[in-house]
Amino acid sequence: MSDVKNKLATKNENTWCPGCTNFLILESAKRAIAKLIEEGSKQEDFAMATGIGCHAKMFDYLNISGIYGLHGRVIPTCLGMKLGNPNLKVLGFAGDGDTYAEGMAHFIHVARYNPDMTLIVHDNQNFSLTTGQATPTSQVGYKNKAKPLGEFNTPFNPIKLALASGTSFIARCDSKDMMHMAEILEKAMKHKGFSFVEIIQDCAIFNKGNKGKDELMYKISDNSDSDVARKLAEEWNYNNEGGKIPLGVLYQEEKPTLEDKWPQLTELKEKKVSWKNK
Amino acid sequence: MRLNILIGGKAGQGINKVSEIVSQVLIRQGYFTFNYRDYPSLVRGGHNFNILALSEERVGSFESKLDGMVALDEKTIELHEKDLKKEGFVIRFDQFEGMGRNLNIALAGALIKILGIDKQVLIDEIKKQFDNDETIAAAEKGFESAESKFDLKKLDNNVVMMTGSQAVAQGAINSDIDLYLAYPMTPATGVMHELASKQLDNNLMVFQPENEITVVNAALGASFAGAKAMVGTSGGGYDLMTEGLSLQGISEIPLVVYLATRPGPGTGIPTYSSQTELDVALYGGHGEFPRVVIAPGDPIECIEKTNEAFHLAEKFGCLSIVLSDKHLAESEFSSDRKPNKNLVVKVKRKVPGEAIVKTSSYEHDELGNTTESGEIAVVNAEGRLAKYDKIKEECKKFEMFKIYGDKDSKNLVISWGSNKTVILDAIAGEDVKFLHILYLKPLSDEVQKEMEKADNIILVEQNVTGQLGRLLREKTGIKIEKKILKFDGRPFTSDKLREELLKLK
Repeated sequence: MSDVKNKLATKNENTWCPGCTNFLILESAKRAIAKLIEEGSKQEDFAMATGIGCHAKMFDYLNISGIYGLHGRVIPTCLGMKLGNPNLKVLGFAGDGDTYAEGMAHFIHVARYNPDMTLIVHDNQNFSLTTGQATPTSQVGYKNKAKPLGEFNTPFNPIKLALASGTSFIARCDSKDMMHMAEILEKAMKHKGFSFVEIIQDCAIFNKGNKGKDELMYKISDNSDSDVARKLAEEWNYNNEGGKIPLGVLYQEEKPTLEDKWPQLTELKEKKVSWKNK
Repeated sequence: MRLNILIGGKAGQGINKVSEIVSQVLIRQGYFTFNYRDYPSLVRGGHNFNILALSEERVGSFESKLDGMVALDEKTIELHEKDLKKEGFVIRFDQFEGMGRNLNIALAGALIKILGIDKQVLIDEIKKQFDNDETIAAAEKGFESAESKFDLKKLDNNVVMMTGSQAVAQGAINSDIDLYLAYPMTPATGVMHELASKQLDNNLMVFQPENEITVVNAALGASFAGAKAMVGTSGGGYDLMTEGLSLQGISEIPLVVYLATRPGPGTGIPTYSSQTELDVALYGGHGEFPRVVIAPGDPIECIEKTNEAFHLAEKFGCLSIVLSDKHLAESEFSSDRKPNKNLVVKVKRKVPGEAIVKTSSYEHDELGNTTESGEIAVVNAEGRLAKYDKIKEECKKFEMFKIYGDKDSKNLVISWGSNKTVILDAIAGEDVKFLHILYLKPLSDEVQKEMEKADNIILVEQNVTGQLGRLLREKTGIKIEKKILKFDGRPFTSDKLREELLKLK
């Protein structure tokens, strides 16, 4: 394991803040990818896209192919990689600002297309790299330099939207639980279709009023019942007002993927080639 | 001989079918045709018209005076009677009561008779398109009801008819395109429709995502993964893509953009034609990075230049923009010229799946790692400049401009894009040289030499500020004082343009 995992590391200097849980997300991603490599995948078969924000530094620390893309455009970039070569194992690392503010339309539509890829959202409920402005998942009342009067708007619940959009795999993790993240990321990557993993993350520097959720978190066993999933999604409203925060696979279903629907992509998959060698 | 025939009616009545049948018959008879389509932004009703020009010689425009009119409704006559020549003919809808959906077929039949073409040629064409007795009967009835006015004998020309959209699609297919991404927007949509209808036969894929932002970013993702990718858009859709174009600039992922311009700002007059987007084609996207902007002037050039755009994008990892407009994209042009030899486009770079490949929207080192080093920033910026020089050198292998008309004339008309064919018609036989610029970026150094040779330069463009004129002033220092600019969304007619050109000569 460690040899395979070591090859996933880079020599770049890490510039995340001391105490940032992105270190744990990186480690869990490496472990999950290493597991798939040990099971027969090649390191060259993985590709990632990142947005812009603290999460996006994953690009420099993870030794797989990829595009360090534009803010908000992780999903379209990943979608394109799947259109370009459906045999690639594609991972998108994105932030909450990326996914739920700048790039919201993509989050809804990718669920309809259902490409076989994984989206990992580092949701720390604020824009950290730009020094702490509110994102759509920031709690009401969150005061920051752009909103000294406090955030007026109710946070948005991405799990509910993912369900409503028809996302075929929805999971939630705690960024402090590395082993659990590795296990869920592996399941997400093995899922056939679009898998969405939301990682609840406390920023070490900004939005400190949002801390103290550990007591609310609990793990569930994998769920594939949509009624149960809707109830699980309602248990926490992202507003830091109590409730319970279920972690694990909140919903999973098998349905035709982008690659199944398009005969051109099906053919590339069957022949195990990219357009380049079609 | 040259004739201009207007075919008008409500949207949905089938006026395009009339032009199509008549054009096909004329092409088979060896005639050159040009068909202009004029329609407002609505689906049923309103007033649409086509103007079909035909000639024994090459023709790429229509004239302001009409030799005949085919009216599918009264409004057509009310609106266009003023343009009809004294001896002009009119084929009226009410000559064919009770024809129902086949009214347009009957009118086409009558027009074929007026032109003096054999009934059998008409019936063969109808049978090719429709396989039912009712339609054939309608065509026959129309034919029998009219009197011959002309005598169009069969000619030896070997002519094909094509729209710019069909030709751009053909150029992409010739380049072995893998993926075309677009969001519907007039007048770019024609290429999407064309490629979509041919995708399975040509082993390519046409994907329409939720918006233009996805179009451009997914195209870059796909190109990165090894596909030859092209996007198509117009006006506002292009504006939405420009951040992605900038990502192309720094990531150096090959990308071909088809930009069919339209009259803005805003929604403008979306179903009409203009050349207002040269500026954004040249400069859209933040930061400084190399690009190619090519503007073909007719469908055969659309085939050739789209192929060159793919070649350059793949060879240099650059952005290639193919410019068009509604007039070029949707008018039906006839030609007897074969396209130049096709360039084989192959992806030779390493792609994911074969190796670990990284690229970035950040300034990055050769392995794709992010850097904020001032030294590397300088090296990279200079590298992008040097790449542009190499692109410019490569472009010299292609026709970057063409000269027409009287090559020794001191009167030089300069233009670009879809004005080409109307200018050719307008200057025929006059003491005028015509410089048609195909590569707007890079611009050939020869352009300045041609300008310096002339005593009298006239700029012709379809925009209000003379965007090519400003580009030429920037690149050559020569300010063109005489301009013929048209910006009502309607194309030049060759007779009016000739008058204007002769006034400035």
